[in-house]
Amino acid sequence: MSFTKRLLLKAVATTVLAAGMAGGAAAADYPEKPIQLVIPLGAGGSHDLNARVMTSVIPQYLNQAMIVQLSPGASGQKGTNEVANAEADGYTLLFTHNYIDQLQQHVENLPYNPLEDFVTVARTNFAPIAIVVQADSPYQSAEELFAAAKESPGKVSMAHSGNWGALFVPAAQLMQANDFQLNLVPYKGGGPAMQALLSGDVDVTMGFPSTLAGQIAAGKVRVLATAGDERIYPEVPSFSELGVGGDVGFMHRVVLAPKDIPEDRLATLREAFGKLNDDKTYQRMMSRMGENIDYLGGEDYDSMRKDQAVAYKSLVDMITGQ
Amino acid sequence: MIEQFLAGFDMALRVDTFVMASVGLFAGMLIGALPGFTTLMAMAILLPVSFLLDPLVGIPFLLGIYKGGIFGGSIPAILVSMPGTGAAIATTYDGYQLTKKGQSRKALDVALFSSLIGDTSSDIFTLLMIFPIAYLVMQFGPPELAAILLLSLVVVASTAGRNPIKGLLMMAIGLWFSMVGTDPIGGVERFTFGLFELKSGIPLLPMLIGVFAIPEIVNVLSANSSKLKNATRVLGERLKFAEFKRCLRTIGRSTVIGTGIGIVPGLGQVVAAMMGYTAAKNASPNPENFGKGELEGVAAAEAANNAVNGPTMVPLLTLGIPGDNVTAILLGAFVAQGLRPGPELFETQGSIVFAILIIMVLANALFLIIGYLAIPFFARSVSIKSSLLIPLVVMFAVAGSYVFRSDVFDILMLAFFGLFGVIARFGKFDVMPMVMGFILGEPLEYAFGQTLAMSEGNIIAFALTERPAMLAILVLTPIIGFMLWRSVNKKQTQPEATELIENSP
Repeated sequence: MSFTKRLLLKAVATTVLAAGMAGGAAAADYPEKPIQLVIPLGAGGSHDLNARVMTSVIPQYLNQAMIVQLSPGASGQKGTNEVANAEADGYTLLFTHNYIDQLQQHVENLPYNPLEDFVTVARTNFAPIAIVVQADSPYQSAEELFAAAKESPGKVSMAHSGNWGALFVPAAQLMQANDFQLNLVPYKGGGPAMQALLSGDVDVTMGFPSTLAGQIAAGKVRVLATAGDERIYPEVPSFSELGVGGDVGFMHRVVLAPKDIPEDRLATLREAFGKLNDDKTYQRMMSRMGENIDYLGGEDYDSMRKDQAVAYKSLVDMITGQ
Repeated sequence: MIEQFLAGFDMALRVDTFVMASVGLFAGMLIGALPGFTTLMAMAILLPVSFLLDPLVGIPFLLGIYKGGIFGGSIPAILVSMPGTGAAIATTYDGYQLTKKGQSRKALDVALFSSLIGDTSSDIFTLLMIFPIAYLVMQFGPPELAAILLLSLVVVASTAGRNPIKGLLMMAIGLWFSMVGTDPIGGVERFTFGLFELKSGIPLLPMLIGVFAIPEIVNVLSANSSKLKNATRVLGERLKFAEFKRCLRTIGRSTVIGTGIGIVPGLGQVVAAMMGYTAAKNASPNPENFGKGELEGVAAAEAANNAVNGPTMVPLLTLGIPGDNVTAILLGAFVAQGLRPGPELFETQGSIVFAILIIMVLANALFLIIGYLAIPFFARSVSIKSSLLIPLVVMFAVAGSYVFRSDVFDILMLAFFGLFGVIARFGKFDVMPMVMGFILGEPLEYAFGQTLAMSEGNIIAFALTERPAMLAILVLTPIIGFMLWRSVNKKQTQPEATELIENSP
């Protein structure tokens, strides 16, 4: 209850403060009006929910409201294009993820150039992917699964959440690194993909730990591997142990701004997101949703984007070249 | 199990739960009544509010928004022929004709009662049969879905009206519209003419408002001026008990259909409403009244689309898997409260789950009162002079098309489909098969693509050996189609039926 009260107090204080700022002498300072946060994805998805939490807390640090604007369509290209064409005045930002941001340029002709048109404000968090099979699956380990898929290419089927999406890309990267072939069956999102695994329509799928917790606790699924260097579950090997190192199987949620944004405004935004990361209310609300918080500064993530662009290009060439 | 149920009953009876559920219901109804604003958007925006509330207050609040919103969508469909969501399309058919006759209040009453009966019965059925339903849900994969979607298209086509050629032509156009944009499986651009705006496909809402509302506006404007003067609409009477009783059979049938469709993942309210409507028209002794302001038509559509709600909660509650975006938001609300829906939730916190299901049922009783009191105000909104009403409707049409994606291109789409609707009406083409073809086309193509991927290209052997349910549906499809076509044809050979098409929206 004290949590509720504190949040309400904060909200009231922010509103009063924001009103004071807008009317006062400091009105010339950025930001002097609400900032739009464009999400190139649909309502109810994880980006939408993450953004609802972010935008309810960040006004304390920007002294302005941040408004979520959903603009789904064309696999995320519609919303991204809108921000690319928006004025670079710091009042229009994009909340996206690495696959929309860096992968699509290699698959299609885009009306924008991700690396030249955008600069990173912050990475707010990331989610490592896990390979899962049904609890009674014959595959006891990732190696067994890979070996079976290598022996009879296309016989092992995997449900994913859509082409070039958060499950498809890690699967392709694993196939590229370990030279095996899965039959990739698309589903409309991670939920239906998990349902396909549980009903036995497919042999394997992937999921984020936050969404897997219930299935693991119920003993319905077995995790074979998780992305990254470190183990997430004590008995389950990481991708590095399987010989797939680096930035594979991570979905990074990032806030981008048009490249020509004035330096001081970019600095203001980066600082605000940095402070957001340390905010207790934000941390509490995110953990309630089962999301982690893993802030990375704009400059650091910008260099990761360049690496992603190279890695995804070779991946797309491998897949479409066959 | 019984103790958990009783404990749940105890937990559900709280004043604050009812207050917040009422707030949610009322807010949802208002938002749902505004074309362009979806209940999904309302739920996403208000989700953080639920984090701050107790689980048994926050979740009923969100459920209230959801339920209120579905009914809200039928309000503009009935009053100004403007379906705010796909689920309200079938309601437009008879609802708006009733408004034209000055019976808008009666139409809204029927919509409210049928929605509530459909929803409550399906909730209670879900409550009692949750585990068998959970088992059934798992039996439906993409192959079965593809077969059922094909069957739905056949049902729509075979009951499309007096002229089957016109109906099939419109459906083919609708299917073609559904292919515009990026192909859902391969990611190849189709029929976009190089326009970036068309890459994400044709938006549903501008199409719906365009083909259903614009021709009505044109119709009123082109009527001679004396008629326009008298067009000021009266409120009309409330629903009489005898009329309600007459609809009960239809409501019951639609509830069964809707609940069944709710069990199949991926079908949803649009198909349910269409099927409920078709079945009612088919079973009626005078099907020629449908589309001319038949109360049973509204009842059939509204009971069916609301009966979908109960079963769609099952995968979320039993497996922790959200089947669509609405349940994804509810999952977020559950998790934020420290409740992880799934198999173990029933074992560890079964009473809370039952409490939530019981609140869902009780919220309906609450909604009966809220809705009944609110209907006169909504009905009055169209009783103003046409010279005021028409500009308002045009404004809502444009704003509704724009606000969903905030894209100016969607207003062009509205104009295009408005023109399409006007021309179709002039040529006595029914737009319904076109809209259904458009709505069913994309999921059908997707499910078919998934089936192809699952079968590794050998779809016939796959159906024969691994998917008996898919095979059975495919074999039954032409038989059902033929029987429906014959029975509709037989009943419609009466001479006065020529007017049917003329008066359809």
